[in-house]
Amino acid sequence: MMRTLNFAFILVTGLVCLGLYRIAEEARVASADLAVTERAITRERSTMAVLGAEWARATQPARIAALAERHLALADRPSIELSSLALLPHKNRPLADEPVRTAKAIVPMPAQAGLKVVAFRTGM
Amino acid sequence: MRAGSAPLNLVRGRIALAAIFCAFAFALICARLIDVALFGNAVAATSGHDRAIALRADLVDRNGVLIARDLPVRDLYARPAQLPDMAAHDLAAAIGSDEARLARAFASGRGYVAVKRALTPAEQDAAMQLGLPGLTFEDSYRRYYPGGSAVAHAIGQVDIDGHGVSGLELGLDRLLSNAGGPIQLSLDMRIQYALAREVAEGQATFGAKAAGGIVMNVHTGEVLALVSLPNYEPDQRSPISPDAMRNRMTQDVYELGSIFKIFSFAEAVDEHSIRLDETFNVGKPLQMGRYAIEDSHKLGPILTAARVFSESSNIGTAQIAMRAGPDRQRAFLKRMGLLKPAKTELPESAAPLTPSHWKDVETATISFGHGISVSPLSFAAAAAAVVNGGTRITPTFLRHDKPQAGERVISEKTSAAMRGLMRLVVTEGTGRNADVPGYDIGGKTGTAEKAQGHGYAHKSLISSFCGVFPIEAPQYLVFVMLDEPKGTKDTSGFATAGYTSAPVAGRVIARIAPLLGMPRNDAVAAAEGQRESTKEP
Repeated sequence: MMRTLNFAFILVTGLVCLGLYRIAEEARVASADLAVTERAITRERSTMAVLGAEWARATQPARIAALAERHLALADRPSIELSSLALLPHKNRPLADEPVRTAKAIVPMPAQAGLKVVAFRTGM
Repeated sequence: MRAGSAPLNLVRGRIALAAIFCAFAFALICARLIDVALFGNAVAATSGHDRAIALRADLVDRNGVLIARDLPVRDLYARPAQLPDMAAHDLAAAIGSDEARLARAFASGRGYVAVKRALTPAEQDAAMQLGLPGLTFEDSYRRYYPGGSAVAHAIGQVDIDGHGVSGLELGLDRLLSNAGGPIQLSLDMRIQYALAREVAEGQATFGAKAAGGIVMNVHTGEVLALVSLPNYEPDQRSPISPDAMRNRMTQDVYELGSIFKIFSFAEAVDEHSIRLDETFNVGKPLQMGRYAIEDSHKLGPILTAARVFSESSNIGTAQIAMRAGPDRQRAFLKRMGLLKPAKTELPESAAPLTPSHWKDVETATISFGHGISVSPLSFAAAAAAVVNGGTRITPTFLRHDKPQAGERVISEKTSAAMRGLMRLVVTEGTGRNADVPGYDIGGKTGTAEKAQGHGYAHKSLISSFCGVFPIEAPQYLVFVMLDEPKGTKDTSGFATAGYTSAPVAGRVIARIAPLLGMPRNDAVAAAEGQRESTKEP
């Protein structure tokens, strides 16, 4: 009886050892796969870092301004902010005696070659 | 019974022993499993992963735009013992290195020498094509600055090992080495570009030797832009001239001239030593011992204190400063932080030059900005305290959205009075050329003759303008300085600040105000239109 039990114990121990070895091996393989994946992630991160830096350089205001002046015939002029969200009245608050602000601006326009005046008055 | 119990006990003992042995074996296996699961995996995770993570944190502007970043590069090394004779010549031709330097390095007897750092992909290919034995590529990092030259002086540089050597790279060195994520600066690249462009155009228009500018939030102390010209391209590999490397806004000190009257008047108003409607005789030079103080242009002969400020009369300002005297003037300037170097994250901060004997003559000259030299950044911080309601601020290059709770240096009433005076300078005084339709700007011009030998050079000027907007409730300060500007045909030959720095500052404000979310003020535009129309004959 005891001999049978001892044999059974040894058998179970052997099976457990085999099972654990298999788990350990699977863990090692998974770990290697993980390392490969992490190296790939690192490479992609490096690529993203390089692309991010290139994007920052490509979108430099100085570069954009130079390209726009060279290729788009756009003059380098300050923009005009006509209003801001802070100045808009609240939806549920009626306008009391506050003056109503209207947006208007006269923007100087450079003379364009090839354009000629065809009419001085419209809407007639 | 007794005879049968002995073998039974023996068997029980053996079973217990076997159980203990099995338990020990399982404990060992469990321990190993835990070790593999926890620590073995961690080792695998770190290997090869962190090598490519940036060693130094990114620098980004207040809107998250990238300014500086470590990027992976490859360096080329060589073992000279394995190289053929013509290696230096071939390598120099392939990767653009100095042949003589390579030849010296290969002949030095060292076992392993650096050939070139941070090779471009094309250079790597060219080196590989040579097929030389003894060449090794090593992965490394190099700091890149997509922000370019516009932001060069504020950001600074790192050395070959990636340690900061100047600018914020040095001032924030520890933070950059340990920060987990990007470090957000107070700088705004849009504002930086606008300031750099206008200051560069101003420098070119007036043929100035050098120029600079600062944009600062007067409540938070954040520096939104800092420009010093000439500048340099931070990514360039060739040596940079010391002149271009110098940050004139923090490393240099200047006698800033009449722009200093801001402090003379702030002191006088705060200490109630003048009333703004009080009159002063500025018709003839003010004699101080053997020195005579004069105005740059004929004024008066009688001006109110407000007009003394708006027309920038040296004679009137000296009389006002003499009422307080040297001790109170020095104490006031000390309170404003002008007698110490500006404390910021930038390591380059010049100490002011003050007179060793601070007597009546010095008091008079300091009142209009001669005899004391401060850095432009120190000046801007002190001027911000004058207009922000009267509390001292410390300039910072890190983003801080909350206003600083600094020490009170002047009363709110004095601050409001100074804002009124500065508005008068732009509407009716020497700073008219800084006016921008639709924006209520206040400011002060400053034209100083440069010190030369024991006197002053009358033709070598430092022209500066300090603008604040919107002047009713100031948010931003714009400082512009030109070093030795020359008059042009458009300025009728005048090179004073009203004709040179003031219009540049006006153009800067016109550009950046919309970017800062400030709409045109129709009421201001209408008032300006009315003012212009009343001036017409």
